[in-house]
Amino acid sequence: MHKALLLIVIPLLSYGFWLSDAFKGIAAGVSIFLFGMLSLEQGFKAFTGGVLERILQKTTDTSWKSFGFGFLSATLMQSSGLVSILTVSFLSAGLLDLVAGIGIIFGSNLGTTTGAWLIAGLGLKVNIATYAMPLLVFGVLCIFQKGKQLKGIGYILTGLGFLLLGIHYMKDSFEHFESTVNLANYAMPGVKGLLIYTAIGIIATIIMQSSHATMLLTITAVSVHQITYDNALALVIGANIGTTVTAIIASFGANIQGKRLAGSHLLINLFTGIFVLIFIKELGIAVDVISANLGIAASDNAMKLATFHSLFNLVGIIIFFPFINQQVMLLEKIFIEKRPNIFQPKYLGSSAMDFPETVVESVRLESIHLYENAIHIILRTFGLYKSDLQTDVSLKQLIEQNNAPIEYDIDASYEKRIKGIYSAIIAFISQAGFTWQMTQSSKLSWLREANKHLVEAIKDTKHLQKNWLRFRASSNQATINEYNKIAYQIALHIQKIENFRHEIESNELPLLSLDTLKATIRNDDVQMNRAIETLIRERKITPETGSSLINDSAYMRSIKKNLLKAAETLFLHSATGNVEQQLALNDTEINDVIQTVDAK
Amino acid sequence: MKIEKLLHKLNAFFDTDKYKKRQHIEDLKKILLKLKKKERKITHALQQTDDESLREHYQTELKIIRAQRIKGIEVLQQLKERKKTEYNLF
Repeated sequence: MHKALLLIVIPLLSYGFWLSDAFKGIAAGVSIFLFGMLSLEQGFKAFTGGVLERILQKTTDTSWKSFGFGFLSATLMQSSGLVSILTVSFLSAGLLDLVAGIGIIFGSNLGTTTGAWLIAGLGLKVNIATYAMPLLVFGVLCIFQKGKQLKGIGYILTGLGFLLLGIHYMKDSFEHFESTVNLANYAMPGVKGLLIYTAIGIIATIIMQSSHATMLLTITAVSVHQITYDNALALVIGANIGTTVTAIIASFGANIQGKRLAGSHLLINLFTGIFVLIFIKELGIAVDVISANLGIAASDNAMKLATFHSLFNLVGIIIFFPFINQQVMLLEKIFIEKRPNIFQPKYLGSSAMDFPETVVESVRLESIHLYENAIHIILRTFGLYKSDLQTDVSLKQLIEQNNAPIEYDIDASYEKRIKGIYSAIIAFISQAGFTWQMTQSSKLSWLREANKHLVEAIKDTKHLQKNWLRFRASSNQATINEYNKIAYQIALHIQKIENFRHEIESNELPLLSLDTLKATIRNDDVQMNRAIETLIRERKITPETGSSLINDSAYMRSIKKNLLKAAETLFLHSATGNVEQQLALNDTEINDVIQTVDAK
Repeated sequence: MKIEKLLHKLNAFFDTDKYKKRQHIEDLKKILLKLKKKERKITHALQQTDDESLREHYQTELKIIRAQRIKGIEVLQQLKERKKTEYNLF
C-alpha cells in the first residue's frame, strides 16, 4: 500500500475502532483472513521450482487443459489473485504461451467462486472456528520442522486455519454490528445503487487485494440483512473487476507477455461485469431458478449470492472463451513489444555457414565480441571503463577514488550485452551441424567452452558485487583496502590479458606469457588468503568479514581463471611454434615457481 | 678425407631431418634471446614501480621467465649434444 494512503487509512481505522467494537472485530477478521491468504501463498511457494513447472507444462498444452488447470489451482489455493500472479510469472519466464495463460485465467475465475460456496454454505452455518484450531496447531508444528516441503505444508495448514478463523471473526462481529448499526438503511435501489455498489466492490477489493475478502464481507453482511441482496450482487461484480488489479500490479515486474495477460484478465472481467450489469434482471431470474433446482431456500441470500458469483463467471467464460485467439491478437496490438537496445551478433551471417573454416572464424570473431562485452560488464562493476586500462593514471588510484558505492546493474547489462550474442553463438554452432571433419567440430566445441567461461566470469562478478558494495561502505579501512585490492587485481588481470593480445599480434612469445598469467592467479590467491589470515589474527577485521573476504577472493580467482581460459581459446588461435610450446611450463613447474616466490 | 667431408656435407644438405634439427636449434636460440630481452625489460619495470601488486606481478613474471629460460637452455644443450654424437658417428 502506498505510504500516503497508509497515513489516511490508519487514523480512519483507529477512529473506527474507537467508535465501534463490532467494526474492530470485522477489521480484525479481514486482517486474519488476509494473513491466512499470505500464509497459503507462502506455503505454495515451497512447492514451486521443479514440481510445479513440470505439472504446468503437462497440463497447459491445450486451451481446455489450461482452463482445467486454472479452475483446479484456484479451487485448491482459494485465490484467483495468486493463480494469476503465478501465471504472469510463468508467462514471463517463457514456461507458458499467452493462449495457455488466458485459459488459466478463465479457469481461475470460475475456480475462485468455490470460495463463495464454502463461505456461504459452510462458513455461516457451522462454527468453523473449531476446524481452524487444529489446522493452526498442526500447521505451526510443521512450520517448525526443517524440511522445506514440511514447512510448506505447515504454511498451507496455518493459512487455511487463519482463513477459517477470519471468517468466524467477521461473522461474529457482523452479528453484533447488526444490533447497533443497520447498513440496510444505506441501501440504494435501482441503477444508481448498482453502479455505486459496483464501484465500492472494486475499491474494497483493490484495498484488501483479495476478492475473497470482499466476497466474505458481502456474504456475511447479506446473511445478517445488513445490506440488500441487489446491492450485494453489485458488490460481487465490483469484486470480480477489482481482483484483476492484483495481476496488474504483478505485471509491473513482468515482461510484455505478463503485461498482456494482466490486460486480458482486466478485459475479460471488465466486459463480463458490464454485460452482467446490463442483464442483471435476467441473471437474477436465472439465479432464482438454479437455486430453486439446487434446493436453496428463496430467503437464503448468502447461498444465492454464491450461485450468482458462479453464474456470473460462467457467463463470462461462455462469451469470451471461444475467442481466445482473437484476444491474443488484440492484446498484441495494444501491448506492442518494444525492441530493447540489445547488442546483436555482428559476424554470424548465413553466408558464413557455407564453409567449415568460415563457420569457425565467424564464431571466433563473435566470441571475441562477447569477450569485449563481458570485460565491459566486469570493469563497470568496479567503476572502471576499458579505456582506463590504457591511461597513465594507475588503476589502483581510479578504484580508490570511486568512494561512493557504485550500483551497476549486472542483470540488465547481461540481458543487453551478453544474452543475445551468446544465444546467437550457441544457435549458430548447433545449426552448423557436425558433418565436417573432426578438427572443425573440436574447434567449435572449444569456442563454445570459451563462451561458457565468459558467462561464468560474469556470474562470479555478480556474486562478488554484493559484498563489494556492502563492504566498501564499511567504516573499517582494512576491509575497504582488501576489497579494493580484489577489484584492482581483477582489473590488472584484464589489463595483462589485453597486453597478451598485443603480444600475439607482435609475436612476442604469447604462449610463454600465459604461464605468467597462470602463475599470477595462483600467487595472488595465496597472498590474499595469507593477508586475510593476518588481518583476522591482528583483529583488524572480524572473522565474519574475513570469511566473506575468503569467499570473495575465491570468486576473484574464478573470474580470472575463466577470463584467461576464454582468452587462450579466442586469441591464441593460430598455431604457436613448437619451440615455444616446448618451453611452456606445466602445472607442476608453475607451482614450483610460485613456491619459490612465496618462500621469498 | 676430403671426399669423406664433402660426402658428409652433401648428406647434411639433402637430409631434411638434419635440416629440421638445425632449424630447431636456431629457433630455440632466437626465443631464448627474446626471453632475455623480456627479462631485462621486466627488471627495469620492477625497479621503476612502487605499486606493491605490480611489483609482485613483475617478480612472478621474472621467476617464470627464468624458469622458461632454464628449461630452454637444457633443451638446447641436449640438442647440441645429440647433434655432436650424430656428427661423430659419421
